[in-house]
Formats: sequence, structure tokens, C-alpha cells
Amino acid sequence: MAKVLVIADIKLGVLKSSTAELLSKARAIGAETAVLAIGSDIESLIPDLVNAGSDTQYIADDPGLELFSAGPYASCVVDAANQFNANLIWFGFSESGKAAAPRVAAQLSAACATEITDVEIEGGKIKVTRPAIANKVMQKILVNTEQLVAVVRAGAFEAKEGIKGTQNIVKLAAPEPDLKAVIKELVSDASGEIDLADADVVISVGRGARDQAGVDLVKELASDLKAGFGSSRAMVDGGFMAHNKQVGQTGKIVAPTLYIAIGISGAIQHLAGMNGSKVILAVNKDPEAPIFNVADYGIVGDLFEVVPILREQIKKIKS
Amino acid sequence: MKILATVKKVVDVELNIHVKDGAIVEDGLQYVINAWDENAVEACIRLKENNNAETTLVSIGVEDNTDIIRKCYAMGIDNAIHINDPALADADSSVFAKVLQKVCENGNYDLVITGKQAQDTDSGQTGIMLAEALQVPCVSNVIALEVTDDQHVKVSRLGDAGTEIVELELPAVVTVSDSINEPRLPAMRGIMMAKKKKINVMDLQALGTSIDEIRGDSPKSEIIEFMKSETRKAGQKFEGDAAEITAKVVDLLANEAKVL
Ligand SMILES: Cc1cc2nc3c(=O)[nH]c(=O)nc-3n(C[C@H](O)[C@H](O)[C@H](O)COP(=O)(O)OP(=O)(O)OC[C@H]3O[C@@H](n4cnc5c(N)ncnc54)[C@H](O)[C@@H]3O)c2cc1C
Ligand SMILES: Nc1ncnc2c1ncn2[C@@H]1O[C@H](COP(=O)(O)O)[C@@H](O)[C@H]1O
Repeated sequence: MAKVLVIADIKLGVLKSSTAELLSKARAIGAETAVLAIGSDIESLIPDLVNAGSDTQYIADDPGLELFSAGPYASCVVDAANQFNANLIWFGFSESGKAAAPRVAAQLSAACATEITDVEIEGGKIKVTRPAIANKVMQKILVNTEQLVAVVRAGAFEAKEGIKGTQNIVKLAAPEPDLKAVIKELVSDASGEIDLADADVVISVGRGARDQAGVDLVKELASDLKAGFGSSRAMVDGGFMAHNKQVGQTGKIVAPTLYIAIGISGAIQHLAGMNGSKVILAVNKDPEAPIFNVADYGIVGDLFEVVPILREQIKKIKS
Repeated sequence: MKILATVKKVVDVELNIHVKDGAIVEDGLQYVINAWDENAVEACIRLKENNNAETTLVSIGVEDNTDIIRKCYAMGIDNAIHINDPALADADSSVFAKVLQKVCENGNYDLVITGKQAQDTDSGQTGIMLAEALQVPCVSNVIALEVTDDQHVKVSRLGDAGTEIVELELPAVVTVSDSINEPRLPAMRGIMMAKKKKINVMDLQALGTSIDEIRGDSPKSEIIEFMKSETRKAGQKFEGDAAEITAKVVDLLANEAKVL
């Protein structure tokens, strides 16, 4: 039987939805499941880890693990993978997962695949599907090793309601700190704003908004909808939006229920970050803008005129 | 200080890419320097300008890489190595990492700068696996880099909870995001000089290794099929009176898509 170890995605002390999604998929392929939680002061997350659908919980809880450091993080994963005898080791889509997965694979001499969207096990052989070339193609990959370390693309798997695991806690020893890569500081972006990665609605602003006034206008729509507020690279380069707000290949990959692109042309690097969204609305004054090729609904118009009307109409319909 | 930038030649992602019978249709494809590797090259050249570093680039590939190497020369890179061996035709990140390991062992670089990801694989593994192979520290997704002293660099990395500032002991590997810099356009003088510069082309044997040593007898994984990606279809697009079409779309979002 396949054994899947899911690395819990924990952000600011909260267990993210990807953990339950990955565990649901593991159960769907008939695998035995374990979860590994890494951090400091995370005991209180144990009930959530069980509820997410894991049957064993490896816990690496140590003050030295408060700030992310790829070396110690990967050591914890290798430790848990060895103890559980995992043949599939899955990270949810996160910067920590992307940094740790290749290390873990190298240490285990396992195959490694990032951004997978599907997994099959056929006659004991693992096959995975993933996008490549900026999402222009999909690849099917045959794994020749017994173990696969993978990062799962945001939104690829769905969490099934009502699956509960059983509690079976295994505490891991604290890993050695990485003395050659010392984290000096974390400039936190815990701004109290809604996290793009798990917002139900994401609104992104592009170069069409021109300046701060334009950005603020779109931001008001985002607050009305309690939406995550993101951006194309153009507005990050322009200094109007923070790096961590960028949606796309270099930025965040999001898959919300509703994605609203305002004043964004739809360059492939941007599309690669949001085309897994359930419904896409685009507002752009150019009827030929490529964003309309992926948008379910398109409004051709000047955002400075359309956004205030959008706010008004949405308020009306919500009341 | 000796610095190595890794540069891959990749398919131009701006062009249409077609898939037929499980393979990519080669016809009409064009190849360019991987965008993130241009950032790696730029980062190297800035270290040359500000810290007197000696810069080398390495590109591994079975195609003619002269054009992209000349471009990097024109930007200001000092030396270039091209590893060209037919045995590497289907290589993946783990194999490239092992080849790079050999290059690094021969060259004794203080710092290796790779792109965060190759645009053809979108895999983001090579630099990190190289660091593992060399047993040196590594930070990925770097958006700022500064030399602090002979033995250390300070980098900023975009992480999940914010920007992580990390001090790395050299030798080290970093993988860079496009946020780190704006690659320069080569000046005319650079382009002229680049034409005269030599490229050190080597196969695996000249590098002191073999495919068996690099990869073992079978690859860890192999691509068995390419498929079309599930492209979204263009939906309903409305033009005309802003108030009217916006009201219409809000109604559709609420009552047809049921997402409001
Ligand atoms: C390696 C690499 C990685 C990249 N990664 C990313 C990434 O992660 N995310 C990302 O977004 N980009 C990324 N890019 C950049 C990407 O290629 C585009 O340059 C960028 O997405 C463009 O941003 P934009 O759509 O806001 O700007 P533009 O392309 O300039 O588009 C602006 C749009 O606004 C419209 N507009 C103008 N005025 C108005 C108005 N008044 N009302 C309505 N519409 C208006 C215009 O018609 C146009 O379509 C990357 C590029 C590279 C090479
Ligand atoms: N064949 C290659 N030649 C030189 N550098 C490479 C090669 N393959 C990968 N790299 C480097 O490793 C980075 C990540 O590649 P990948 O793991 O394929 O996403 C790229 O941005 C390059 O800097």
C-alpha cells in the first residue's frame, strides 16, 4: 500500500487548507496517511491535523524552527519520511515547500517533481502529471525510484468533507540549525490583510490602474468583497504594490473561486499564476487583451469608470 | 572572488507551442536564454563591478548555445563554458545538478548563481540540488544580494511569511527571482568584443566524468508524454455602455456563476 507523508502547510500559526486537500487525495488513491507539522509552539494544531485526515502525526516542535530555514526544515522531512517509510512525500504549494522538496529528494535519492496536478499508481509505478513551459503544455512523468518528493500545485486537489483521521502522535527530535545559512531577520508581511493563497475571491490590479490613486480605487473593491488584493508584476515593478502581492509565475499561484483582473493584459507569466481559478472576470479597455481569452466574463471598458459601478452594483446585489 | 552563473537555453515561451502524438512539435519553435538566468548573469556582473569578482557562465545543452553565450559576454561575463554531450539530451534537473557539481569542483567558485526556474521545465530544482551535491548552503528565490565580507553574502528571499534575510557562508548557491534586478541591454562595444571571445566547449569526458557516474543506469524519472494543457475558453465579453454592461456582468456573476 502506498504511504503518503503530507507536510503540513502552517502559516502564522494556522493550518492552511492545502493540508486537508493533499490528505484527501492520499486517501482517494488508497494510501496510508501521515502528516508532518514543523514549527514552534504548534501542539495546539494537533486536533486540526487529525481532522484534516491524517492517521499519524509527526510533530517537529522546537523554538529553533520558528523561522523557516530550508536545511533544518528538510532534515525534519527526511526524518519523518524515514520513520514512516513514506513512498510519496507531498508539500502543499508554498515557498517553503519549493525550497525544501529538492533538498529532501537529493537526500533520499528520490525523484522530485514540482507543481504536480495529478498522481496515479499503476502496478506499483508512480506517475504524475504537471504543467510545464509556463502552463502551455502538460507532462506525464514516470517515476523510476521507489520514492517521489512532490510539490502539489495550488488548487490541484480537493478536500473531501467529513474525512477524519486518527490521533497517533510521534514527536521528532529537533534538527541541527544551519550554521552556514543563518536567518537574521524576517520582515513579516503579516499586515492583517487577507492571504492571497487562500482567499475565496482575489482581485488583482495591473498597469492599467496607472498610479496610486488607481490602485486605491481597485483596493476599495477588494475590501468590499473581503477579497485578497494582488497585482501583476508591472505594479510591483512600479513600486505601487509589495513583492508578496504579485500573482503569477514568479509570484503567488492562486486558485480562488472568483478572480478579478483589472487593467491586466494577461501575459502568460501572469496567467500561469491564476488560470486555475474557478471563475475569472476581466476588466480591460482593450477588447483584444489576451486576458479575455481566459476570462469567463469580460467587461471592455475604462477601469476608472467601471470599478465604481462594479462596487455599486455588487453592493446592491449583496443587500 | 569567483562567481559562476548557470544559463540554460530554453524554448521561447512567448510563441505558440503545439503537442502532437505525445510530443512537442519542434517546427516553428525558437530558443532563447532562460529569463531567470539573465537575472543570474546580471547579478554576477554587478558583483564584478562592485566587488571585483571574476565571472564565469556555464550552459549545458546539446544544441548550439553560441548565441546566448555571446549575449552574456556582451553583457559583461568574463568566461564561458558550454557542456555539450549527446548523453545529456533528455537530462532533468537532478542530472544537470550533478554535471554542475563537476563544473564547480573543477572551478572552485565562491558563489554559484542560478535562475530560480527554467522556463521549459518550470521545475525550480537544479540550484538547490547542486548545493546538496556540493554540501554547501543555499537560499532560493532570492530578491536581493550583497557581499558582506570575503566569506559571506547577505541575501533576501521572498518566503511564505515575508522577506527572509539570511547570511550565507561561502561557498554557497543562490537561486534568483526576476525581482532581483533588471538585466542590462548589452552595449554596442560589448557586442563587438563578445564576438572575439572564446567559448570553452567540453563533453562529459573532458569534464572528467561520464553519464553513468552522473546518473546511474536509469534516470530517476522520465517524461513519458506531453499533453495539451487544458486551456480555458474565452467566455462572454461585453462592450458598450459601462453602466449597462457592468450591471449585466454582476448579475451573471451572482445568478449564473453563483460566485457573489
Ligand atoms: C521571467 C518572467 C517572470 C514574470 N513573472 C510575472 C508574474 O509572476 N506576474 C506577472 O503579473 N507578470 C510577470 N511577468 C511579467 C509579464 O510578462 C508582464 O510584463 C506583466 O504581467 C504585465 O503586467 P500588466 O498586465 O499589469 O501590464 P501591461 O501588460 O502593460 O497591461 C496593462 C493593461 O491595462 C489595460 N489598460 C490600460 N489602461 C486601462 C484603463 N484605463 N482601463 C482598463 N484597462 C486599461 C491595457 O489595455 C493593458 O491590457 C514575468 C515576466 C518574465 C519575463
Ligand atoms: N542545462 C542547463 N544548463 C545550465 N544551467 C541550467 C541547466 N538546467 C538548469 N539550469 C539552471 O538551473 C535553474 C533551474 O532549472 P530547473 O531546475 O530546470 O527549473 C535554471 O534557471 C538554470 O540557471
